[in-house]
Amino acid sequence: MKIDPDADLVARAGKGDRAAAQALMARHLPKMLTLARRMLHNPAEAEDAVQEAFLKLWTHAARWRPGRAKFETWLYRVTLNQCYDRLRRKPTLELEAAAHVADPARGPLAALENAGLAAEVEAALAELPARQRAAILLCHYEGRTNIEAAEILGLSVEACESLLARGRRTLRIKLAHLKDG
Amino acid sequence: MAEKEPIDRNLASAEAQSDAAFAARVLTGLPDVPVPGVLEARILADFDAVAAKRKASLRALVLHPVQSLRDAVWPGAPAWQPASILALSLLIGLAAGTLVPSSALTSVSSVQDETAAVDTVPDLNLSGDF
Repeated sequence: MKIDPDADLVARAGKGDRAAAQALMARHLPKMLTLARRMLHNPAEAEDAVQEAFLKLWTHAARWRPGRAKFETWLYRVTLNQCYDRLRRKPTLELEAAAHVADPARGPLAALENAGLAAEVEAALAELPARQRAAILLCHYEGRTNIEAAEILGLSVEACESLLARGRRTLRIKLAHLKDG
Repeated sequence: MAEKEPIDRNLASAEAQSDAAFAARVLTGLPDVPVPGVLEARILADFDAVAAKRKASLRALVLHPVQSLRDAVWPGAPAWQPASILALSLLIGLAAGTLVPSSALTSVSSVQDETAAVDTVPDLNLSGDF
């Protein structure tokens, strides 16, 4: 059985150790915030979602039982659930994000290297359905395997692969003008 | 027809691989999101609040039985009153236990007078004058 690298820190944070809490934050906050930002496309909502996820961590840390689930998988799942909740409560978040979609005709392929590309990719991501977006981000941005992503999303590996395939297809169609770069 | 099926499958697989390569290429270029210091402070403040709440509930868990006992014994009195009475009684008990010699407590008088056995015939002198 693999040893969870976070188990000790979670146990210490559960006992009120502030340094352990800070270490957990330093280890996971950047990834969680990036994921939430890409899911919600709204900095303030993303920060709130991540704060809520960490609040859940602090309240559950004392009862955390190592070995049942990998801590990082659990934290990703909590963060994603916070994002889904916000998308459900505020459907306008999706619309706001989609409004930033760039005009495919405007960018020359040289734009691949600059910040404009990131904005276009993020806008295309924002147009994907939430679960496809989550699967794409976990596998292609966070570098998770299909198995890990499936576990985080609470799906079978086949279902996760299907989400990924549909998401990649849509992404490629939306970013067709960048294809040859 | 039978030959067409594997060809279609291969084409689909090649297309899926190409899509995956494209997604990997465009997504790896995305920049990381910097973490604002204010967010870190907010999350740590949450941690402090949860830790303080947990400590307070632990204290309440210990103090509650003591307080309810105090209210049962001496309702409305400040905690030090029943506590000091209890401590004083304990002290008296301990002092008595250690200072009073044990022989004084367990000794039995060797002289036993006015005893009568109930299973023997009483020795009554009926000839005497009343």
